[in-house]
Amino acid sequence: MMYGNYDLPFSVKKGGISVSMDKSEKLWIYKRTFGEDKVEKQIIGDGKYITINPVEPLNTPKELTPNLMIEFEKSLLLAGGTIKTIILTFPIEIGVFISDKENTNILLLDVFTQARQKFTLYGSVSNGIICKHWKSAIYSTSPSLDHMQEGIIELTIRNTTSDWVSISKTIFNAYGMKLYYEDRVFMKAHMDILSKNTAETSFDTHHLGEGFKIFHLKNINTSKEAIEVYNRKLVIVPLKFEMRLGF
Amino acid sequence: LIIINFFDQLMLDHVIYTTSRGSVTLGDLLKFLIILSLTIIVTRVITLYLRRYLKDKISKDVSETILKFVYYGSIIVVFIAILPMIGLDPSGLLLAGSITGIILGFASQNIVGNLISGIFLMIEKPMKIGDQVEINKISGFVSDIRIISTLIRTYDGLLVRIPNQQVFTTNITNSVSYPVRRFDINFGIRYSDDADYAIELVKGLISKEVFALISPAPSVTVNELGESSVNLIARIWAPTSEWATLKTNLVLSTKKTLEDNGIEIPFPQQDVYLHAVTEKNMIPKDLKQIPDKEIESVANYGERMIY
Repeated sequence: MMYGNYDLPFSVKKGGISVSMDKSEKLWIYKRTFGEDKVEKQIIGDGKYITINPVEPLNTPKELTPNLMIEFEKSLLLAGGTIKTIILTFPIEIGVFISDKENTNILLLDVFTQARQKFTLYGSVSNGIICKHWKSAIYSTSPSLDHMQEGIIELTIRNTTSDWVSISKTIFNAYGMKLYYEDRVFMKAHMDILSKNTAETSFDTHHLGEGFKIFHLKNINTSKEAIEVYNRKLVIVPLKFEMRLGF
Repeated sequence: LIIINFFDQLMLDHVIYTTSRGSVTLGDLLKFLIILSLTIIVTRVITLYLRRYLKDKISKDVSETILKFVYYGSIIVVFIAILPMIGLDPSGLLLAGSITGIILGFASQNIVGNLISGIFLMIEKPMKIGDQVEINKISGFVSDIRIISTLIRTYDGLLVRIPNQQVFTTNITNSVSYPVRRFDINFGIRYSDDADYAIELVKGLISKEVFALISPAPSVTVNELGESSVNLIARIWAPTSEWATLKTNLVLSTKKTLEDNGIEIPFPQQDVYLHAVTEKNMIPKDLKQIPDKEIESVANYGERMIY
């Protein structure tokens, strides 16, 4: 696992990704190689350290949208008035942060991904919303994944209507995402079906102590809260996503 | 009102001067000044809130013009309305103003037309600053929307000022109004090439492009059977901000991929069939060759040569 905190100098390699930071005279040189994609940056200053952790999958190749659509491989039918918890996968981006020893003054140094990237439109051409697209199967237990590429979302769906609903996708707002990582990367989210065409999604921002229903984490206390990219932005935006154009 | 009544009751009945409308007391004068001062204060507060409200909605130039219009307009209206308090008749002022207005109106028809068009453009909002538009065959970025004119920065870096009347009455094509935009790639393949294979190759290319949207779904189809080629068309939707880059990349990669897979984009071509000339149709050998100059001057040359 590449994720964690590193004192300088350091070098780490995993699955075709190489990240290092070495001193050259008075400068620190950050190097990251992933396939043909190479990044090199110069940093002045001592007493820093590096954190590598999973971040919201909405930073690469550029910040086009804060919304992630997860399309289900097969539609899910849910009876009226029921609450069900399912597991979905989501793409991971890897963030490299530089900070002071006290973990203050954090700066995103680099972000990259091994996961497939694609965009889609939610809604019509005239009033739709661009979303990052990901397709996932629906699991009832935690699947085996490459945790440098994919994470898992425990999604609790609550059908507040009295009718059956068919769900083929869910959309999440990056500003509300709360990522945790241990030997895998995970999030906990909710989807409330409010009417035939409207649903609201949000993330659980409680700490892991609240527990996960499906995950059986080896050491729940050792799981770390990831430094997020979007949550660090000083903007006042809604943390929920309202799906008004169907699900 | 309490203050005004206070003045009425206690103090200021002392007449300062007399006009045709009657005598003006010190109280009248003070009332006039208080109302005018209150108007200025209230108008300033209104413009302060209006400035905050308009800050992110329209450009600073336009908002400042509107704010000045509201500020001075309100003060002038109140000033004229309270002139009778100090014994002055505003009707003469209004009459003079009306006549001046008519004269100015005739003299500045175009300016007024542009001004009104500018106001309607701000209400209708067919574009905003930074949008890519085409107005009256002028394409570029909207640099500013002013009360009288709209400024366009063309793609080659020229500043074009278009009067708002012209903007309002002509077609405006806004390229970035919607979040996504479609582009088409037209290409032809030889009749001998496998069209299904070509479609599969181009679909594969599109699916690899990050910004080629999954929905609305792209399509690659045979568009027509041309004279020289089987013409195909690929229709791809992309985020508006990535549209141009994606189109450029895909056009090039389509050409390269087709060529790499042995599919050629043919030149326009025409087949010419040559038949052997029979003995009967040949020109007799003993026919004398006529010099070029003579040929030009002889009418019905073709007929004479054949028969």
